[in-house]
Amino acid sequence: MSILSLQGISKRYGAVQALSGVSFDVPPGSVFGILGPNGSGKTTLLGIVTDVLKADSGTFQLFGKPAGAQERRSIGTLLETPNFYHYLSGWKNLEISASIKQRGADDIERVLKVCGLYARKDAAFKTYSLGMKQRLALASVLLGDPDVLILDEPTNGLDPSGIAEVRSIIHDLAGSGKTIILASHLLDEVEKVCTHVAILQRGQLLLSGAVSEVIQRNDFVELAAADNQALVALILRFPGCNSAVVSGSSVIATFDSPPDTAAINGWCANNGIWLSQLQLRKKSLEKAFLELTHTSNS
Amino acid sequence: MKNIIRTEWLKVRTYRTFWVMLILAAIIPVISNFFMANLFSNGDLKKATQLMGQPFSFPAVWLSVASISSYTSGLFAILLIILTTNEYTFRTNRQNIIDGWDRRDFVYAKLFWLVALSLIALAITTLTGIIIGLSYGDTSLSFEDYRYVIYYFLQVVVALSIALLIAVLLKRAGIAIVIFFAYSMMLDNILSAILKRYVGQVGGLLPLQAGDQLLPVPLFGKLISEEMYDAYVYVIAILVYISIAVYIVFRKMMKSDL
Repeated sequence: MSILSLQGISKRYGAVQALSGVSFDVPPGSVFGILGPNGSGKTTLLGIVTDVLKADSGTFQLFGKPAGAQERRSIGTLLETPNFYHYLSGWKNLEISASIKQRGADDIERVLKVCGLYARKDAAFKTYSLGMKQRLALASVLLGDPDVLILDEPTNGLDPSGIAEVRSIIHDLAGSGKTIILASHLLDEVEKVCTHVAILQRGQLLLSGAVSEVIQRNDFVELAAADNQALVALILRFPGCNSAVVSGSSVIATFDSPPDTAAINGWCANNGIWLSQLQLRKKSLEKAFLELTHTSNS
Repeated sequence: MKNIIRTEWLKVRTYRTFWVMLILAAIIPVISNFFMANLFSNGDLKKATQLMGQPFSFPAVWLSVASISSYTSGLFAILLIILTTNEYTFRTNRQNIIDGWDRRDFVYAKLFWLVALSLIALAITTLTGIIIGLSYGDTSLSFEDYRYVIYYFLQVVVALSIALLIAVLLKRAGIAIVIFFAYSMMLDNILSAILKRYVGQVGGLLPLQAGDQLLPVPLFGKLISEEMYDAYVYVIAILVYISIAVYIVFRKMMKSDL
């Protein structure tokens, strides 16, 4: 049974088609990345799933059932911006969240500590910095230890150490078998944790599925020598090499099949070029993503 | 419903604006009533009061108190507008739904305040009536003509329904309060006066005017006689307005993007 299943969700704001016929399934236990540039429809999609927006057409189910308030209570959701009562303290705001969720009232201390807000628990929300507001929103998500989490740009407004903390929280949650739906335009944010991915562009679903199936990420080799131009000419003659270009102080070479760095090293040495650098790299999700969205543009 | 009331309580428990407004809304009608009772029970005006038939003795005190209190129901309306528009300002109307309220629950939460504030108004005016009747009147406690206080209660409910509707449609406290007062202090009266002048007594059926018709100002009302429907017509009109306002609030909340 899918945690979330979407069938043909469409939504229009005036002249803007925010989503057109988006369908995909989120399997249990997956870390499901919804990727796309700003304005691609990620938040609109999650807004529809959490019933704050109404789809023009299409249906969706949570836990195999038509989504209702009961289903939403068992999901921890952070959508877009932290929404809290400005005049109440962080602690009191979480009491309200727990009251609505009908669980987690005895969990407030733990989540505030996890999110590093415990020292400021009695200060009014309006006195919080942007990062602290985001931390409180995350604390609210974790309240009652839900099995499913929806996180929309969870590192928004956080400083580098905050970003690192949130990533490690997500990592731990993913490791403990929870289902996480993570929307982001920061691809490196999801690159390391996502098992599945859906890519949106201007409201269209470009593709979705397991990361390994969806995105072909050929390895490439980064190398350098005293004369990089000569290195390019040489490496292009290496069997299976299909491209080599100078990029900064090194050469990027791609191959038809997974490259064997030892063989490359030997080939260059035998042909009189001594490598000062040789490194096998994976194409980042970001590169793959840009290629993908670029292809669909043209 | 218990969960909704508990949650609403958590929202206001330590909200200073709420308590200040609530105390003002509770105290001002009491002060106004005592001021008027005092004014008309001393000196020259005392004789005039006797001509008007002892407005601060039972049973007439009920009409007097209800009529005087009805001028202050806007205070409860401000409070309801603030409690409702706060949710839009803080975008907690979204968060409440995301966290697991049905959209319907959100409307119930605001209707709870509408009912609670109306009941507080009813209780305060009833107590004020009893105390003023006992201390300024010449007769013993009687609930004859208590129906005027019930009319006042209905007028508070319809005023708060209109306030809730305006708050849900406009979403911003400032503009909603301005529009509510523009309507309740001017528009309703002017439209009613125009309708009465050119069409007839149907002009008395406008939402807030209907309540005013049921609560003639005791100190002058008897001097001006005007054509009127039976009381039940105004009561039905008020109930219809309440239903329409609540229906539109539900419809808006159930259908629109938050």
